[in-house]
Amino acid sequence: MAVPGSLRRQPANRGLVSHCTHHHIVVFLLTFFSYSLLHASRKTFSNVKVSISSQWTPSCLNSTAPELQPYELWNSSHLFPSAEEATLFLGTLDTIFLFSYAVGLFVSGIVGDRLNLRWVLSFGMCSSALVVFSFGTLTEWLHFYNKWFYCCLWVVNGLLQSTGWPCVVAVMGNWFGKAGRGFVFGLWSACASVGNILGAFLASCVLKYGYEYAFLVTASVQFAGGVIVFFGLLTSPKEVGLPELGADEDEGSVEEDANRPLMGSDDVDDDDRNYSIQAADNDEEPKAIGFFQACCLPGVVLYSLAYACLKLVNYSFFFWLPFYLSNNFGWKEAEADQLSIWYDVGGIIGGTIQGLISDVLQKRAPVLAVSLLFAVGSLFGYSRSPNSKPINAVIMAITGFFIGGPSNMISSAISADLGRQDVVKGSSEALATVTGIVDGTGSIGAAVGQYLVSLIQENLGWMWVFYFFILMTSSTILFISPLIVREMRMLLHERRLRMLAE
Amino acid sequence: LDLSNCSLHSVPPGLAEATTAIVLDLSENPLTSLPDGSFLGFIHLQSLAVPLTLECPGGSDAWQNVTVDRSSRLCQGQRNPCNSSAELAWPCPENSVCAPDGPGLIQCLCDSPFHGYKCLREGTFPMLLFGGILGTTTVSLSLLLWGTQRRKAKTP
Repeated sequence: MAVPGSLRRQPANRGLVSHCTHHHIVVFLLTFFSYSLLHASRKTFSNVKVSISSQWTPSCLNSTAPELQPYELWNSSHLFPSAEEATLFLGTLDTIFLFSYAVGLFVSGIVGDRLNLRWVLSFGMCSSALVVFSFGTLTEWLHFYNKWFYCCLWVVNGLLQSTGWPCVVAVMGNWFGKAGRGFVFGLWSACASVGNILGAFLASCVLKYGYEYAFLVTASVQFAGGVIVFFGLLTSPKEVGLPELGADEDEGSVEEDANRPLMGSDDVDDDDRNYSIQAADNDEEPKAIGFFQACCLPGVVLYSLAYACLKLVNYSFFFWLPFYLSNNFGWKEAEADQLSIWYDVGGIIGGTIQGLISDVLQKRAPVLAVSLLFAVGSLFGYSRSPNSKPINAVIMAITGFFIGGPSNMISSAISADLGRQDVVKGSSEALATVTGIVDGTGSIGAAVGQYLVSLIQENLGWMWVFYFFILMTSSTILFISPLIVREMRMLLHERRLRMLAE
Repeated sequence: LDLSNCSLHSVPPGLAEATTAIVLDLSENPLTSLPDGSFLGFIHLQSLAVPLTLECPGGSDAWQNVTVDRSSRLCQGQRNPCNSSAELAWPCPENSVCAPDGPGLIQCLCDSPFHGYKCLREGTFPMLLFGGILGTTTVSLSLLLWGTQRRKAKTP
């Protein structure tokens, strides 16, 4: 009998289609583009590294040739004596940014659950835009080059940018329910990659006028985005009087319960019908849960640690890929930037398709595991890729598919799952806090990774950097293995029951 | 500019400001050496007299003719060092061209349309165009979205 199976799938489709109003579309697009702009300004920094280090150093010729004249034109900037020192400092800036971003994520998640999400998001976007403007454009116009100033600004930037992710995931979680969450979030988490592409594109267009204009363009567009978000974002269906998400989901769940009484949930990750019926009766304002309570939610710690390892690999590619391409193969900075777009393209497609598959299976962890196994293989293949642009682009896209896909899923759909799971549903707001925790741990991992990558690259070379990435990807699989085992067991159990019913 | 017989033991530091000099006389001075950068910027110098013990700055190749007198050496007719083959050994970096900077000395100036430090920048950024487009887009989108979305919002 196919009845249980089809009825199980029906509420999912019905939920997705019936809920879609124009508000949903606008929320999707606004949150999508606001996070893209935040990411674009980060990407600008990576893309102009070569130009900035030329600006900060005097001209470098072999020691036999006399100094170039005129002095002001070629040698007057002595912020760093050589390009290698400038590169080290740029790596340090990346690490500082990621650490302050990680700290900021933990804080912003908590703040976002307590204050109005729209205010936090637009404040974060506008002030971060001002900081980026001062960092890149003001310092150049005033010819004020100071290492401490750069470091301080970048710390502040990290804290301000961290307001973005928890707020946008929380808003999306408010508007889009469990039905089809994997697919919608998979498609939506393309925002980070679209932001990278946008940032790379803007930077490469404007770079010829001077790196300060690249910062000016991304900062002003981000500021404009913050203003638009302030005037146009609705943080939750409650604001326009549409029914809150929890109530609608309960109706669907009651039906399912009637059809599948044997499928008693012994696992809190599944929809627990009993709690939700009671919760729907409460009309009181949900209060935000504390930081430690959020940490103790099931699955949060494991996914956070796994995400730390995965984000390390993802961000190292994001930050160092153009540098690796121009260092190893001697390509020009603008070309390397354009090629690094393929990694993001792979990530977008990967996130969407894997989100869709995990929606159909209603299980996330096995999909992640398979993708990560393939990722190890593709990393190995990329480390051996030849000096040919088309082949490099293809392997890059494949690697992006297998690494970016799980990364997008963990940081968006799975965070939304964890933050809206039934232990907290209806009685507390946990979404932004949980997202903050998962992403914060991930960013700490990424920050540590930045430092390690530059260390390994200097001492051992790029091949060992790739071995390090493979090690990290394997650790990710290790961390989520308890969840994989549990979900595989449930899958087999469901399949057995379905075969018994037929 | 006549500095002959001034008992100079070394090139006076103020000499560096006299870059517009066309004729310079340093003969009959107990100068020990002419440091390399002494004549930086002296692109108009056509006639230079130095004590007999010293060579013409930039070597004999940098001048059209060198005549030796009883008490001094006369260097005449500064050659453009950018044309001589010796200087092509270390060409100017990207986006810059060679220009004379004194006897036997060259400087690298930015090729137009390049400008700025190390000639990295090309052209001028269209600030007004950019600002105009961004401003109008922001205002129109904000108004549109406020009208369709937030106008009916009840703020908690």
